[in-house]
Amino acid sequence: MKLIYEKSKKGRHGFSLPEDQFKEINLKDCVPRYAKEKKEKELPEVSEVEVIRHFTKLSKLNYGVDDGLYPLGSCTMKYNPKVNEKLASIDNFLYAHPFTDEKYIQGSLQIMYELGELLSKITGMDKFSLMPAAGAHGELTGVLMIRKYFEDRGEKRHKMLIPDSAHGTNPASSAMAGFKVVEVKSNERGGVDINEIERLMDEDTAGLMLTNPNTVGLFDENILKIAKIVHSKGGLLYYDGANLNALLGIVRPGDIGFDVLHLNLHKTFSTPHGGGGPGAGVVGAKSHLVEFLPSPIVCTDDGKYFFEYPKKTIGRVRAFYANFPVLVKAYAWILSVGGKGLRQVSEASIINANYILAKLKKYYKPAYDRTCMHECVLTGREYKEYGVKTLDIAKRLMDYGFHPPTIYFPHFEPYAEETIMVEPTESESKETLDEFINAMIKIAEEAKTKPDLLKEAPHNTPVGRLDEVKAVREPKLHA
Amino acid sequence: MRYIPNTKTDEEEMLKEIGVSSFNDLLKDIPEEVILKKTLDIPTLSEEELTEKIFKISKKNLDFRFLKPLIGAGAYRHFVPEAVKAVISREEFYTSYTPYQPEISQGNLQSMFEYQTHLSRLTGMDVIIPSIYDGASATAEATLMAMRLTHKNKVITSSLLHPHYLETVRTYTAPHQTEIHIAEYKNGLSDLKSIESMIDENTAAVIVQSPNFFGGIEDIESIARIAHEKGTLIIQVIAESLSLGLLKSPAEMDVDIIAGEAQSFGMDLNLGGPYNGYLGSKMKYIRQIPGRIAGETTDKEGRRGYVMTFRAREQDIRREKATSNICSNHALNIVAGNVYLSLLGKNGIKKIAELNTKATHYLRTKLIETGKFSGFKYPFFNEFVLEVKDKERIKDKLINNGFIPPFDLGTYYPGLEGYMLFAVTEILTKKDLDFIVNLLER
Repeated sequence: MKLIYEKSKKGRHGFSLPEDQFKEINLKDCVPRYAKEKKEKELPEVSEVEVIRHFTKLSKLNYGVDDGLYPLGSCTMKYNPKVNEKLASIDNFLYAHPFTDEKYIQGSLQIMYELGELLSKITGMDKFSLMPAAGAHGELTGVLMIRKYFEDRGEKRHKMLIPDSAHGTNPASSAMAGFKVVEVKSNERGGVDINEIERLMDEDTAGLMLTNPNTVGLFDENILKIAKIVHSKGGLLYYDGANLNALLGIVRPGDIGFDVLHLNLHKTFSTPHGGGGPGAGVVGAKSHLVEFLPSPIVCTDDGKYFFEYPKKTIGRVRAFYANFPVLVKAYAWILSVGGKGLRQVSEASIINANYILAKLKKYYKPAYDRTCMHECVLTGREYKEYGVKTLDIAKRLMDYGFHPPTIYFPHFEPYAEETIMVEPTESESKETLDEFINAMIKIAEEAKTKPDLLKEAPHNTPVGRLDEVKAVREPKLHA
Repeated sequence: MRYIPNTKTDEEEMLKEIGVSSFNDLLKDIPEEVILKKTLDIPTLSEEELTEKIFKISKKNLDFRFLKPLIGAGAYRHFVPEAVKAVISREEFYTSYTPYQPEISQGNLQSMFEYQTHLSRLTGMDVIIPSIYDGASATAEATLMAMRLTHKNKVITSSLLHPHYLETVRTYTAPHQTEIHIAEYKNGLSDLKSIESMIDENTAAVIVQSPNFFGGIEDIESIARIAHEKGTLIIQVIAESLSLGLLKSPAEMDVDIIAGEAQSFGMDLNLGGPYNGYLGSKMKYIRQIPGRIAGETTDKEGRRGYVMTFRAREQDIRREKATSNICSNHALNIVAGNVYLSLLGKNGIKKIAELNTKATHYLRTKLIETGKFSGFKYPFFNEFVLEVKDKERIKDKLINNGFIPPFDLGTYYPGLEGYMLFAVTEILTKKDLDFIVNLLER
């Protein structure tokens, strides 16, 4: 499809410009000689109609949750309620300037405060910062807090333990916070190897970053022992909340030994992904870490809400306060489902994942053949002998009208290779799951009988498989 | 629950297929003693109850729709065309995930590519990362990038860098033994002599915001020359990207890395986020730049398409060796910015930038003419600093008459307690400005 630049025609525009009433001001006097532009900025010239048609057409090349099943593992692509969009864009929120006096934004502050309290209730943590803009941003915030905590105690701990099954962001965040990453192997049951933790956890180690349920969809049955080992050596336990959708109303990370965590409001708490953001990666701390939270946090006294600056804060991780509309949507979602509904969400998501696992494990050998939590990890290993890669299976799914699951992640030997990570969430009906399961079974059959069909897939999409090597070798990064 | 389709019967059938007799059998990995015995004490509201509750809370804010800001300081109220909101309200854009499967994500990917093109043409930079979270985190990432490129750990920032950006740079660099030196300012602009005197062989980069926090238009070209002569990189921070419609581009001034905030391109104030941080650099630095970027390529039949490219820099592939941990960013803001700049086009952006400048200069001139205000004189874009006597009275007057008062510089600049930072955008008409002058004159 054409680029917006290829629709440009001299003299067109799509904007209603206010009239220039400042004729007495001479622009030449305003811009110093050293800053006068030499070259005009060649943006496209198109009318509003053309812009709207262009973007409508572009939108139709995308696939969203409202189009159908979006079973990306560890991404929690659940339904994004419509009312939340409306509530997040109420004029009094939308037009609020961040540097307005606190007394004029009491409504916004109340939402922030109450959301923090609700999240504390759900996770068992003591206080939340709503500042981080995404999960990875929350991780960075959390590990910087851990760093500061030890600095404050005069301890030099420079290592961080991270399981081989962890999201790539965990080691990347730890490295950004100046830690040396030490990988911990998974055991034959899919959890972290507890003997390894025992061996590696020492006085130079700040702690362990853990996703639970982890990325193979399993709740670590040794969690209490793990917490004990880490704490007995003076370390801290970080909870990567990307997979919290399995635990709502069932278990609280704060009750099983976690000291600090982040949650992705754009996963468990239903706020839309927006094609890759904006979300929010809020961070919760137990009391001994609250004073290190990023600054400012929202507090209340006598019915008034205000910003407070934690004493030993790690500082700011962004400008202003938070991705505010995302907070409103999460707040609205929690109150829509309520305490009872939260548990139902996790129950439904766990049943859905296990149903897929039960129906597909004959065709796609699971990484671990055990009941799972909110996501299951299958593999495409058996089809290698037909020359079919897991990638081909994923691409073929598009022809059946589904967004593919996460593939090749997690990846660690010898259990998790050629992985297909399926997270259906609570939003999907049994009928939708059955359609997906049937498609996967048909594809398994095709892999054996018509492997080329898979290798050439997808066939029904606006473009076929794109040459990613060429994109790097002959970089074209703008028109 | 209306967001869960499966009924009790469905669940029973599914549990049977799974081969367990009850849901609790699926929780056997969880130690019994930590499983919650009681339902979380959170009420359940109907859609109508929820709507009423949140609208009521929103009333505790001022009626911001009808309050025009005389304040910017890194967050600008510009007019946002309804067409922008219409496009970003399309489910295909807002309910999709990161475009990991390009065949069914060409909408997002082409939009990224187009926005990269817009920003590349506005800034002249070869490489544009269209979304880091915001201007502050983009500045912090640019700082780390410069340190990686040079293997040096000292940076010099202008004291007129947005205070929140500086604080964010401090947070991000804290673990990396970074020395941050703050250069002085003189009459509303960075003091070039102060910058020059601070550069040494261990300096990774000079960081200068232009327009700076006071709205001042810096002589970036001269600063770049000084930096380059001493073997140091220069990072230009652009907190008000509308200025690019009028001013010389960073590339024309030989800037190495840019860190920007594009909130002005079709994004509402929203109490400070989500906005649109972006990065740019010369092509030779691409392997050290963090964040997602789209590139053009073809499929087997030669059809043009777009993919996320130079992925070997990213966390999901490189883990602790990645250029950053960033993955989710503010992608939907890319679409908003793309629509906005496409609507404006070549002439529109220029005209709005000009209008902002003229209106701002008009207000300053008129305020000075009243004899009640004074301030240092320097070239500025759409913000300026004035000394204001009787600050609190002025704040009250403005808010009571429908305007959000200017930013109080005493908050971040000791010694400037009596000074305020005024911002003017196209939202304020001449009539508004005359009214304000009249109001403040009395």
